[in-house]
Amino acid sequence: MMLCNDVLLLMMVPKDRIASITYLAHDAVEALLPGADTGVAVNHGTAEEILLQKPDLILAGTDSAPMARKLAKAVGARVVEVEAAHSFADIRRIVRQVGEAVGEPGRAHVLLAEMDGNLAWLASHQPARPLRVVAWSGSQAVPGRGTLTNEIIAASGADNIAARLLDNRYGSFGLEALLAAWPDAILQGETRWSGPSLQDAQSMHPLIERYWHGRRIAYPDAAYACGLPQSADAAIALRNLYRELPAGRLRW
Amino acid sequence: MTVLHADNVSYDIAGRSLVSNIDLICESGQFVALLGANGAGKSTLIRMLSGLERPSRGQVRLDARAIRAIDRRVLARRRAYIPQNARVEWPVAVERLVALGLMPQIPVFGDLDRAAWRKVEAALALCDLSHKTGQPATTLSGGELARAMLARALVGEPEIVIADEPLSGLDPKHAMDGVARLAALARDGRLIIASIHDLTLAARYATHVAIMRGGRLLAYGPTASTLTSSCIRAAFDVDACIQGSGAQAIVDFIARPDTPALHPFPGLAPA
Amino acid sequence: MVRPPQAPLPLMLALLLAAAGASLVIGKVWLPPVVLFDGLAAPKPNLAWLIVTELRIPRTVLALMVGATLGLGGAVLQGLLRNPLAEPGLLGVSGGAALGAVIAIYFGLAARFALVTPLLGIAGALAAGALTFLFGRSGTLTLILAGSAVSGLAAAGLALALNFAPSPYAAYEITTWLLGSVAEREWSQIVLCTPFILAGWLCLAATPRGLDALTLGEAQAESLGVNLNMLRALALAGVALSVGAATAMAGAIGFVGLVAPHLVRPFVGYRPSRILLPSAVFGALLLLVTDIAIRVIPTSAELKLGVLTSLIGTPFFFWLVLRLRRLSP
Repeated sequence: MMLCNDVLLLMMVPKDRIASITYLAHDAVEALLPGADTGVAVNHGTAEEILLQKPDLILAGTDSAPMARKLAKAVGARVVEVEAAHSFADIRRIVRQVGEAVGEPGRAHVLLAEMDGNLAWLASHQPARPLRVVAWSGSQAVPGRGTLTNEIIAASGADNIAARLLDNRYGSFGLEALLAAWPDAILQGETRWSGPSLQDAQSMHPLIERYWHGRRIAYPDAAYACGLPQSADAAIALRNLYRELPAGRLRW
Repeated sequence: MTVLHADNVSYDIAGRSLVSNIDLICESGQFVALLGANGAGKSTLIRMLSGLERPSRGQVRLDARAIRAIDRRVLARRRAYIPQNARVEWPVAVERLVALGLMPQIPVFGDLDRAAWRKVEAALALCDLSHKTGQPATTLSGGELARAMLARALVGEPEIVIADEPLSGLDPKHAMDGVARLAALARDGRLIIASIHDLTLAARYATHVAIMRGGRLLAYGPTASTLTSSCIRAAFDVDACIQGSGAQAIVDFIARPDTPALHPFPGLAPA
Repeated sequence: MVRPPQAPLPLMLALLLAAAGASLVIGKVWLPPVVLFDGLAAPKPNLAWLIVTELRIPRTVLALMVGATLGLGGAVLQGLLRNPLAEPGLLGVSGGAALGAVIAIYFGLAARFALVTPLLGIAGALAAGALTFLFGRSGTLTLILAGSAVSGLAAAGLALALNFAPSPYAAYEITTWLLGSVAEREWSQIVLCTPFILAGWLCLAATPRGLDALTLGEAQAESLGVNLNMLRALALAGVALSVGAATAMAGAIGFVGLVAPHLVRPFVGYRPSRILLPSAVFGALLLLVTDIAIRVIPTSAELKLGVLTSLIGTPFFFWLVLRLRRLSP
């Protein structure tokens, strides 16, 4: 009943053990495990669907847990509440938790070993000088300390400048602050929805165009939405993208 | 000499006729009292005579020119119009209210010059409002406000003053005072047209009366010969006797002896 | 001859100048004035120069233009309708403009042709204003009711746009944008909208005589040679052009048009013609000071300009309603 849990579930158990996944999961699945959800039933979080599908176990997010418990009583299912992961430590915990819950602790161990291997590789290949970056797609809701994005940036060997300035998890980080911080690169999330938006207009501000031309890194939003073993892959992908940046510090 | 001529004017709205085929010629020096029961079409006729409403048929002419063809501001300089129950919308000073009457005279971008302020002072003095100059107009009493509106109408020295029930809501003293002022203006050579409900005041002060009923003009002519008891009966459905003439005239209404006593709730009246 | 107390226009202009100066110095990034001056003198580009010329000056200019537009629009509407509650926001004009702009931005029209945003904003404002005028002509109450009906219509349209928003993120953005802000707008956008705002101001500048005459009510104003239809058309076109273009840039910002005319009215002897300029200046001052306050108030997510004006304006609105209730029978 929470899209991140569903991606995790698809990695852990064969499709025939899955009663249903949330309809919201499709886009994340397409980005992280293309095609993994074909043939899996979807639910819209409604009571009717759950009663019909009669699962043995309901994986619930923090927000949906109370509702899931009510439904679970009706169908005699267990409820496991899985918190959203905002760090690699969180990821280890929830992967083990879900592994235990679905009876696949070995599979969870494999997935985490893979993730930790990737992280270890990243740590042993730190760049000499960490890049100063910010995940900025407009001044609103810029990820700071305590966010998964911040964790991925750190793992990729860069410095999230918003982590120093913001005391909240997400906060405003205006163009003034951006100019003052003068990052080496700007990470811009790309949604799979390609509709026009104000954000596009703002991230196209002439100042960004003028000074960060060639220093904007596009990353898939979906890979940063859920804390999963793949988050380490996202960090590696980010590290690879840094190589395409022009050498040296950004000049005026 | 100014001549205002309603040439066979009619006014229809939504298939209903408010004014039908009225012919009326008024000239400078006349004080024409427009008489008639409620709903007789007085206000509509007044708006047409002022050039504010276009007649459905016929036309109003000012000195042989169609009044609707005269430039708004030129017309505004020649005739002043005071609507029924004129109100002020903002608490502007009385002098400012009166000065608004000079708007057609002053250029588009300009304020009042010294000469204009003198006219305002003169109009205020004429209407006994000199002591109220700076007071917010919204705080004036009914009689004072009516005088202020008259001062506003007169400040531009128009040839014609048309007023819709200028005496309504005034106490006897102020009503008499108001109608006397209008009469004085007519003697001064202006054309005054005003709808009036008080027949005694009309009989005393108006030089001419125009009597309406159901949108038609029943009679029009010099007051003494036109305002007769038969005419009043035709217009208002009441019997009246007229005593005296000129400044001493009194119009008195008489209960008809054959009028049955009305029960307040006719349905409950004993058969 | 008693003269009304003189408008403190010079005082307001001095305050406006001071606020504009403060607006260049104050921001989320604190740079001491000395650094700013050094930056302006130093070889360009540099941080201080960029922040001032590309961010703070456009922001200041926009706050001044939007504030003046709302103050002027409110003053003209209140004079025209002789109604102290008339204001672009309450009459649904801002809502209509916002709907037009949202349609332009989110349905990809703006991306293809930049002029579409102000044009649709103006069209929305015009349609909303015309509807309100049409249905609310017979008094204070009906006007306010018509205004809220038209606002409701615009809100329904916005809800529909949210419903069909191309992505959940776009929906979030629409709601944020509607809160109103003058931050981080590009020069090119401002340049695009300015001619419409100026054209609107020009229309409104032709109304003061008629507004004065309306002190005597519609019938007498007409008898004084005022072309009422022309006056209404000028006011509507002026408000639609200026408020429509301003809203297309800054989102819906309420209450400035309500507050500004009220506060300056006593200083000009309540003459409708005389409040236009002071009300515009005061509106500009009010919006600029509010925008400066936003930069100073420490919040992790930026407080939106329209939110703060509503927070300030709503108690004022209540006070007005109380006062009107006392005045009317």
